Amino acid sequence: MRRLLHLNIPGALAGLVWLVIVALPVYWMVITSLRKQAGYLTADPIVPGRPTTAQYHRVIAVGFLSYLRNSAIVTFAVVSIVLVFALMASYAIVRGRGWIASGSFRLFLLGLAIPLQAAIIPIFFVVNKLHLYDTLPALIFPTAAFSIPISVLILVNFLRDVPTELFEAMKIDGASEWQMLWRLAAPLSRPALLTVGIFAALQAWNGFLFPLVLTQSSGTRVLPFALYDFQTQFGINVPAVLAAVVLTTLPVFALYLIGRRQLLGGLTAGFSR
Amino acid sequence: MRAGSKRKGASPLLALPALGLFAIFALVPMIVVVVLSFTYYNGISSPTFAGFANWSRFLHDSTTHHAIWLSLEIMVLSWLFQTPLALLLGVFVSGRQRYRAVLAAAYFVPLLFSAAAIAITWRNLLDPNFGLLANLTHRLHMSWFPTSWLGNPGLALYMMVFIISWQFIPFHMLLYQAGARQIPRSIYEAAEIDGAGRVGQFLHITLPLLRNTIVTSSVLILVGSLTYFDLVFIVTGGGPGFATRILPLDMYINGFERSDMGYASAISVVLVTAALGLSLLLIRVTGFGRFRSTHEGA
Amino acid sequence: MTRHTVMRLAIVMAIALAALTAAATAASKKPTLLLWTIQRTENSVETKAAKTYKPASVKVQIFANDPYKQKIKVALGSGKPPDMFMNWGGGGLKQYVDARKVLDLTPFLNADKAWKNRFFNNVLQTAAFKGKYYGIPNVGMQPVLLFYNKAVFRQNNLTPPKTWDELLSVVKALKTAGVTPFILGGQSKWPDLMWEEYLVDRVAGPQAFNAVVAGKKNAWMDKGIIKANTMLQQLVDAGAFGNNFSSTTYDGTVTATLLGTGKGAMELMGNWEYGAVLQNSPDTIKNHDLGWMPFPAIPGGKGNSKNIAGNTSNFYSVAAKSKHPAAAVQFLKKQVMSPAYVKGLIALGNIPPVKGIAKQLSTGANADFTTWCYKLVQSAPNYQHSWDQVLSPDAANTLLTNLDRLLLKQITPQQFSANMNKTK
Repeated sequence: MRRLLHLNIPGALAGLVWLVIVALPVYWMVITSLRKQAGYLTADPIVPGRPTTAQYHRVIAVGFLSYLRNSAIVTFAVVSIVLVFALMASYAIVRGRGWIASGSFRLFLLGLAIPLQAAIIPIFFVVNKLHLYDTLPALIFPTAAFSIPISVLILVNFLRDVPTELFEAMKIDGASEWQMLWRLAAPLSRPALLTVGIFAALQAWNGFLFPLVLTQSSGTRVLPFALYDFQTQFGINVPAVLAAVVLTTLPVFALYLIGRRQLLGGLTAGFSR
Repeated sequence: MRAGSKRKGASPLLALPALGLFAIFALVPMIVVVVLSFTYYNGISSPTFAGFANWSRFLHDSTTHHAIWLSLEIMVLSWLFQTPLALLLGVFVSGRQRYRAVLAAAYFVPLLFSAAAIAITWRNLLDPNFGLLANLTHRLHMSWFPTSWLGNPGLALYMMVFIISWQFIPFHMLLYQAGARQIPRSIYEAAEIDGAGRVGQFLHITLPLLRNTIVTSSVLILVGSLTYFDLVFIVTGGGPGFATRILPLDMYINGFERSDMGYASAISVVLVTAALGLSLLLIRVTGFGRFRSTHEGA
Repeated sequence: MTRHTVMRLAIVMAIALAALTAAATAASKKPTLLLWTIQRTENSVETKAAKTYKPASVKVQIFANDPYKQKIKVALGSGKPPDMFMNWGGGGLKQYVDARKVLDLTPFLNADKAWKNRFFNNVLQTAAFKGKYYGIPNVGMQPVLLFYNKAVFRQNNLTPPKTWDELLSVVKALKTAGVTPFILGGQSKWPDLMWEEYLVDRVAGPQAFNAVVAGKKNAWMDKGIIKANTMLQQLVDAGAFGNNFSSTTYDGTVTATLLGTGKGAMELMGNWEYGAVLQNSPDTIKNHDLGWMPFPAIPGGKGNSKNIAGNTSNFYSVAAKSKHPAAAVQFLKKQVMSPAYVKGLIALGNIPPVKGIAKQLSTGANADFTTWCYKLVQSAPNYQHSWDQVLSPDAANTLLTNLDRLLLKQITPQQFSANMNKTK
């Protein structure tokens, strides 16, 4: 009660300043994307003009939807692979024994420290050797591979807290390890799986370096790379470029409105990068 | 901590798909990159053995040395800029007041954008001819006001640090918010009875109790700044001149623009080694268990 | 049990992924030819040539200029190249030819003399190595010239500069009037090179760069080159390029708009900028406010003031790994520089490098500009092909970076020459 009474004035002021720094570019981006190109330069940049969706139509007309589809395919595939593979591996690590279980855990821990930027040249080499260059799997597999270590880490931590008795009880009922994995471990780890899924989805949705280096044609273009391409394609049509930025961010923004806690949880999961 | 008895463990085969994928796209490349660093490879023809040529070039290439220096500079500047701001703002939004919750929701918005989106937005905002800044100075008849911020070699790096911070401060703020919320309120109440002011409470209670979060966040900033790529690549491409050509960019330009993949691999090896070294520090200093508690707090 | 299930799972995932990729590539009967080119005003002509071609379905993919150079390199190296790709000839193309990535067009050209004789031979030579031809010209010749905004000159009572001294006084006058004298897309670096090429030519003559190409020792240390670079830095000091050049990109829209709207007074650029102004600032052309002139003379210099620099043309080459090389060659023969193609280029202000079109040019849409360019090229004793296309990609990259730093005044002309001397 007392804390409420003496409001932190300097803190609140500083908080407002930061709010402006954060919000101004976002605000400018949104109102500019709703302008016509003609007159953009002479209009007051801060006061919104009469909104038009012309730029959004233009962005969609140059293939935005096919890039969206590619991004959706990549994201869906990455999330599926990461969830299934990481859960299986975590189960094996927690419930298994011997050098494979402990060794692979240590390997994943080490893998946390490999920055994908530094590995891009050999990944380019490997992807070429596998004849995956300029295909969507060229984006899916490396993105999934680099999301696995942290996912395993989160899931292992979660599964370790599941009481052993639950597994023992199920085993006495004659369940196989495979059944226990999917009928017990999977449903129990739902919160952790959600975190892992969101983390992997954001990696796949926002990744820029892999598309830059591992794809080339418009048939395999995904959204972040399409943005880069739009910049040169639209040139001085700043409103169109920003409309593309807004469009690519909308899905994540929607997710933020629906489940802020879960989304932020998924974000911090990736804090090793 | 460890689950109790495991008389009949689960089959280790279950770990194979994850291991396989990880091995092919993360571990094998680590071996490949070392091998490639001893070859001439232009990305078009097959690699040929080069001995220590790339490594000797690494020791003498002044552009790369400059890039290493810039990477260190951006690392320190990022830390100096992000840590105090993220810490103060994080503690600020850890308060339960309604207005703070609203502010927090707005603060986290940059987290929703991809690096590409942020880079494109700032690049346009700062465009000297068609950007917001140029527009404003024109409207206010302030033609004396400099508009070429990204084109000024003395300023470009600082602008990059600012844009990078704009992207990442919310993330670290999130860590600090979670950390600060774990501090029991009773400690503050006791201090208040003792007559400690707001600043005193922050210095003597909050700061020491957030030590672990500070360490975690700091090491993340340090390791992360070693590998910044997307933002700098899109906003300045390493220019003007060499002003923002940090080490990952130097690697990319050598590998993919000059077609010298052998030399780029050598830089790659250095980057991986540096990042691994720093990260091992992370595990050593913060400890694995603490990683976990911070995570749950989030 | 476990192993089976894992395998089953792996198989299901593999099939799913294979299906995903297969779905992206639909099958059709006609050969499908993939053509790569860069974003430029001539795209409309290129895509029309592709769309109206019946024997094969030709897909045109357009890339931005700067990333394209890297994309095509990676594509040719990866073994998944497009069937046909646009290039600049010279050292860049030679690198691919040396790596056996490009189809030799000599037999096809020799088999059809009428095809071969359609083009100016000196233009074909830019994409020929050791007597073998690897490229077909696909746009007009591209001399670099000095564009200016007539309205800006009128308002400030200025006349186009013919000599270096006149140029300096025009710069001074424009600077006082608050107009950027020369627009320069310095962030893209290669526009800087046009200044370098002309200054070195005027001061030291064509022989200075020819010595570099011939691999003469210390060729870059030529006194003329150092003097030219000193003059270039004097221009920077005089504010000739304004304050924003180092963060201005060239993408075919930015500088044309700046020139058209009079934010800058002049621009040294390839003749394609005419089309760019036409597209981005059509009123400038309509009001006859776009002017053009040759690069000014530098009295006392070794170079003839009629010398020009630029690209002879751009080219299409066929990838050696193309699945339909014959179909690709057939397309190039039938559709590129066909009468319709040539007509389309002329309408854009191009000067196609084909014989017997003088009359067509003089009756074309932008006759005053194209005939002026045609005369400029014809009367030029030396036509310097762009340095970055002549040199190896590695040397070209070093050249552009050092020019960038020279204009930022981070290095001296002496350091520039010393750095370039180290390249091969």
